[in-house]
Amino acid sequence: MVDKRIVKDVTNIIEGLGINENPETISILEDVGTNSKIDAIREMTARALVKKNMHDSLKVVITNKGKGINDMSTVVAMSTINELLSLSDKSEAMKILEDTVNEHSDEEVRDNARSVKALMALS
Amino acid sequence: MANLSIPSIRERLFNTSKHEQSTQRNSNSTNPFAASSFKGNVLTADVFESSSKKNDSNINFTGKLKASALVGSISGIGERFHNMIESAKAFGNRMKDSIVNGWNKLNEVEISFAPAKEKAISMFNSVKETLGTSVTDLISSGVSVKSVSKMEDMAAARQLATDKIALWEAAEI
Repeated sequence: MVDKRIVKDVTNIIEGLGINENPETISILEDVGTNSKIDAIREMTARALVKKNMHDSLKVVITNKGKGINDMSTVVAMSTINELLSLSDKSEAMKILEDTVNEHSDEEVRDNARSVKALMALS
Repeated sequence: MANLSIPSIRERLFNTSKHEQSTQRNSNSTNPFAASSFKGNVLTADVFESSSKKNDSNINFTGKLKASALVGSISGIGERFHNMIESAKAFGNRMKDSIVNGWNKLNEVEISFAPAKEKAISMFNSVKETLGTSVTDLISSGVSVKSVSKMEDMAAARQLATDKIALWEAAEI
């Protein structure tokens, strides 16, 4: 069983990196968070990246197979989609989703992007 | 000798009729107040004098002595009150002093409670422990969202995140 202090520290780090406006925090979250084998860490990281609402951060959770909306864990994928639906300004996310639907090489990623785009259009 | 006991004085003051002599208004009276005062009644000279002499050996404490004692006691009341107030003030001051001294003593105790030797040992141990722990452990002593959100050293931020996530992943195995 993981120590609660470690969980708290990781949560704070991911949340803090999500708030930090330095662009490099996106690569830190992508490298360290989205590649973690712990579902909870991937989920927190994906949500932090969506909350940033920046082109590069949204691209990580929309266009990468196995990350964000394309995560093999349903919980992580659904949580990311939910966070995308909660954005007040969805314009950048919609643009990336559209580009993914039109241009991505992987069919599964395209399908996922299409579904999420449809959901966001309805919300 | 006049009887100055309080009951007798009271009786003489308020039951004057017993001690007054009816006198005829007469033009030959030498009393200038005879015509206007007491409606012609002139108080006898011995109105405050008792006609019956009392034994001098029997000291009536209810007389002057009592009055004097009463006056003395009345004047003493103020002094007693003053003394009471003074003692209360002194008591308050003593309490205040004792509280202040107690507080100072507590502070002194807190400062100088641990002997210097023990303090030095504990300091040495803490330094030793600090040097012996890894950077990760040092960082683990509470990471706040605010501190991370304001970090400028991204290498340190990356290291911090990597170490912490690694700790979590290691604990899950």
